[in-house]
Amino acid sequence: MSRCVLFLWAAALLAQQDEVRNPRTSTADVAQGEKTFRSHCSPCHGLKGEGGRGPNLAAGIFYHGSTDADLLRNISNGIDGTEMPGLFYSPDRVWQVIAYIRSLNAAPHEFSAATVAAGEALFNGNACSNCHRVNGVGGRMGPDLSLIGKTRSIDHLRQSILDPNADVRQRYCVVTITDGAGKTVDGFLMNEDTYTIQFIDLAGRLYSVEKRGLKSFKIERASKMPSYKGRLSDDEVSTLVTYLSSLRPAGGAR
Amino acid sequence: MRIGLILLAVSLHAQVTYERLLNASKHPANWMTYSGRYAGWRYSELDQINRENVKDLKVKWVYQMKTTHVVETTPLVIDGVMYFTEPPSNVVAVDAETGREYWRYHRATPQKVNVCCGQVNRGVAVLGDQVFVGTVDAHLVSLDAKTGAVLWDVEVADYKTGHSITVAPLIVKDMVVTGIAGGEYGIRGFLDAYDSKTGKRRWRFWAVPGPGEKGNDSWSGESWKTGGAPTWVTGSFDPEQNLIIWGTGNPSPDWNGDSRRGDNLYSDSAIALDADTGKLKWYHQFIPHDVHDWDAVQVPVLVDDEWEGRPRKLVYWAHRSAFYFVLDRETGRFLMGKPFATQTWAKGLDESGRPIRLPNTDPSPEGTYIWPGVQGATNWYSPSYNPLTKHFYLATWENRSLYRKGEQEYSPGNRYIGSVPLIDLPDEPGYGAIRALNPKTGDRIWEYKLLTKPWAGVLTTAGRLLFGGSDEGYFFALDAEAGKELWRQNTGGIIRANPISYLSKGKQVVAIAAGSAIFTFERR
Repeated sequence: MSRCVLFLWAAALLAQQDEVRNPRTSTADVAQGEKTFRSHCSPCHGLKGEGGRGPNLAAGIFYHGSTDADLLRNISNGIDGTEMPGLFYSPDRVWQVIAYIRSLNAAPHEFSAATVAAGEALFNGNACSNCHRVNGVGGRMGPDLSLIGKTRSIDHLRQSILDPNADVRQRYCVVTITDGAGKTVDGFLMNEDTYTIQFIDLAGRLYSVEKRGLKSFKIERASKMPSYKGRLSDDEVSTLVTYLSSLRPAGGAR
Repeated sequence: MRIGLILLAVSLHAQVTYERLLNASKHPANWMTYSGRYAGWRYSELDQINRENVKDLKVKWVYQMKTTHVVETTPLVIDGVMYFTEPPSNVVAVDAETGREYWRYHRATPQKVNVCCGQVNRGVAVLGDQVFVGTVDAHLVSLDAKTGAVLWDVEVADYKTGHSITVAPLIVKDMVVTGIAGGEYGIRGFLDAYDSKTGKRRWRFWAVPGPGEKGNDSWSGESWKTGGAPTWVTGSFDPEQNLIIWGTGNPSPDWNGDSRRGDNLYSDSAIALDADTGKLKWYHQFIPHDVHDWDAVQVPVLVDDEWEGRPRKLVYWAHRSAFYFVLDRETGRFLMGKPFATQTWAKGLDESGRPIRLPNTDPSPEGTYIWPGVQGATNWYSPSYNPLTKHFYLATWENRSLYRKGEQEYSPGNRYIGSVPLIDLPDEPGYGAIRALNPKTGDRIWEYKLLTKPWAGVLTTAGRLLFGGSDEGYFFALDAEAGKELWRQNTGGIIRANPISYLSKGKQVVAIAAGSAIFTFERR
């Protein structure tokens, strides 16, 4: 019986939490929330919530709880074990921030299964998987795309397909070294410090070399990925982007 | 049965008198204050480790902390015991020979504490048989040096209004002097002195003068109430003149000065206070009406040397704005100034040391690119002065930032910065360097380049060595004369602390916090 009571109590608590709804959702609230967000949240979460030192908030996925009550708690009190601090604001001001954050992910998260399947076919049919891995399948030379829909916006995904050089992460910069014997190797930069450099070549071999003793080395922020501009139609690009955008973690979002 | 004689290693534990602190430089077996001596040199008279044998340095012991916060502590070593802080605000005492723990003080801190740049702490102070620590919730606590038991605990300021203590206290006579942090939260900065025995406050110097006080008219309207000017890095002390010399931080809000028109005294200044009364004797403001967050939170380096043909009491100061300064220590008068790193905001300094600003260098809504970057050409990490080489040494950054200006209203306990600058430019990481300057001219003597920008201070020694660290995790030794690298060790964690040196069982040891650990090294 006691277990039953406990269960009812927990269910009541859940229902009660579910009832907490943001009371400040007017356009003016969103605008004020944006101001507060810019000054307090954007140093870590990015000017438009796109993420940086802190997670992307524009994807509608919140790993420490996605209900209004969760957001109110996490913004007011901070999140233990993370760098997320609390704010000393009244709940009203925090609700406005929540209204703004919600406005960032108003985009639908439901993807047409047919479009996703078509996009996946394009992905596999255009050799994307030679370099990119999705859920454990594919090559390792390009970024793993298993969760790319969580971290990158639709616009960014489109840009990366059409103009891969527009935004190249440090990890995909190309390093070229010539050693003391005159042998030249290139690959993707993995790490670098004052004295050494670590990279992976196109065959998947790992290198860690002392800079001292190299004849030359250079690092270029240029992508090894070809542009698909003109190789795919606009519709195909959109379909591919839909597939990529659908690659999100299970759970997280309510 | 043979009866063996067991020699117990018992530390002498002489009382740490003020006399001993005054003469700290004559007893280099210990490292008794934040900077090793009141003059702020971070210089050790020990010379067992030198340019020939530094290559033999090996790890002596490592102490792993139980923290996820960045470790910025400078350990103290007194009579065989090492005292250091573990962030946020814990204190640990270990055997300086083995690293084994004697005691630890755990500070329970409130869940919601807002410190601008991490819940850090830069170290303790020791006097008599007491250890003193400031806490992130803005208390000053005295502990029993033998057991870590709390002797007293006083609230310095309300943490709910953005006050915190990250600075290592400084003992002056029978007082514990502590600064305050909160320049990103619109606090009104101050420097405090407390009776070491009772914890009762002796004096407070408001770094932002109130109504009726001189300098208050350098703040428009009510802006002085939230004017910032925190005091979050340990200053120096000139016993001959009875002067505490300390640096103050940025005015609040950081990057938008519209609500605080005027020079905003005494933000971004060197201040010299009478040690007994806390009264201002002189000041030099490096940046009147700062809008770039260029705190003057550097350790003042006090040197007596010849200046223009006669002996003079000097202060050497490499400021966050990329300018190096020499001040007269008796009057605060500006003697010379010169950039020590790339800067694009000032044409130069006028004859009083006031910067002559270039047009269009203030933060703007669309952003303004300026060298040095937001974190400055140097920051809180300690410089060093070496009386043998007569050079001034520091860790420095070469980079620029995009300074944006934004709107912000004050609300207690929340950030009050007036912008969101782009601190790091993805395609322009910049670089770091250890530099040696001629302190009389500001001219660069040598540079040791680093790929990344260091957040670690430098120590120099009578062995003509410089010890420094990097965010890459390397702890290294350079020839202090030539700047050549002689030794390095990968510690496996970022180094954001200052090195020290001491003797253990007659052997010279060098210590630094790296990652979440204290590392010690000696010749093996």
